[in-house]
Amino acid sequence: MAAEEGQVIGCHSVDEWKEHFNKGIESKKLVVVDFTASWCGPCRFISPILAEIAKKTPHVIFLKVDVDELKEVAQEFNVEAMPTFVFLKEGKEVDRVVGAKKDDLHATITKHATVTA
Amino acid sequence: MAVSGFEGFEKRLELNFSGDDPEIGIGFRQLDFQSLEKVLHAVQCTVVSAVGNQYFDSYVLSESSLFVYPTKIIIKTCGTTQLLKSIPPLLHHAATMDLKICACRYTRGNFIFPEEQPYPHTSFEEEIVYLEENLPENLCCRKASVMPSKLSSHSWHVFSACDQSQMAMQKSPCDDQLYTVEVCMTGLDRVLARKFFRLPNDGKTGDSAGKEMSESTGICDINPNALICDFAFDPCGYSMNGIDGDRYSTIHVTPEDGFSYASFECVASIYNDIVEVLNKSVQVFRPTTVTVATTCTSHEVWMQVAKAIEPLGMKFQSCTVDDFPAAQNVVFQVFTGR
Repeated sequence: MAAEEGQVIGCHSVDEWKEHFNKGIESKKLVVVDFTASWCGPCRFISPILAEIAKKTPHVIFLKVDVDELKEVAQEFNVEAMPTFVFLKEGKEVDRVVGAKKDDLHATITKHATVTA
Repeated sequence: MAVSGFEGFEKRLELNFSGDDPEIGIGFRQLDFQSLEKVLHAVQCTVVSAVGNQYFDSYVLSESSLFVYPTKIIIKTCGTTQLLKSIPPLLHHAATMDLKICACRYTRGNFIFPEEQPYPHTSFEEEIVYLEENLPENLCCRKASVMPSKLSSHSWHVFSACDQSQMAMQKSPCDDQLYTVEVCMTGLDRVLARKFFRLPNDGKTGDSAGKEMSESTGICDINPNALICDFAFDPCGYSMNGIDGDRYSTIHVTPEDGFSYASFECVASIYNDIVEVLNKSVQVFRPTTVTVATTCTSHEVWMQVAKAIEPLGMKFQSCTVDDFPAAQNVVFQVFTGR
């Protein structure tokens, strides 16, 4: 687990997704899911910024889901525009940021993140 | 003695591309961000926020907006940006993707502070020279025109160029059902303009302050179907891009008294009514002067404009028409009020 802290974890299969989703619930940490698409320019813009944020907030879990790879998951969360960041706490959505919005992302993470001892 | 302020009037560039390969795929959307940043650097602006859907990418810039479709790029920038300087790098990137430019359209109104503009925007003549020198030979059909109005302070500059294939295309009534509307507003109502100022130390982010402005001004009601990416600048100013399927809309506001300005631009279908959309967007600002330029291959859309603007107590002043390659009919109308 420690090796994954501070990183954005890519979920490439439904099983991987379920695994990390459940880990998020167990840890009670804030989980931020970045729904992204390879053909979407704005996703490329925010990607390095998200990686930087992840490094500085190891107490938050960051997951990356490609909407083409995991269509069902994207549909489940009604993702229509990219990037869409969904904030989960114990498996439930508490917030979302639609679009590559640096400041909003920072502010929403600060709002929902709990620092675990 | 006129003191210079921020130039709200934008320069707009639209480039269309075609490829030999029928499977163009995502075309220009594949351009990596570093390369895009370099193009924007040449223009002197940066990305503030962005969002994309299955059809296109939209970017809110420090000085207006950028829209990237697979085979079309639209950049609109204000202030003293050197917009035309984006052409050489964009052509270079097109070549690496096996795409070739097939049409180019450059439009703008009159600058409030023309003497502040840098090369190649010091005059329309200079802009035309730059375009002529930097567009490739295959864009053989070219036309430049300054469309006047009853107000000497408001005219519409158009440069349009396309290649043989665009000229030769048979335009059937079903083709090109989409057209562009470019609205420029000056002399914004002071009380309404104040909504685009941020309160000092409001503790908000540019994104959240922008969202509040979209809501408090009614901008989010112009097209309730659109996803809005908005931003509020410090200490004042506002920008938004709306995405609705394959269509964009964009609003930019310079609210300062003395040189207040707002623009509204959207893509509409000839089968839909734009009266309500136009009416709502002008109502947000209640300006003293509105100019509306419609660019369409069909000849009737311009008639909806008066229906949208006159009910706001504004008076029709003039209407100028001109045709550009390829079969693009531009109608430039001016209304004044209060």
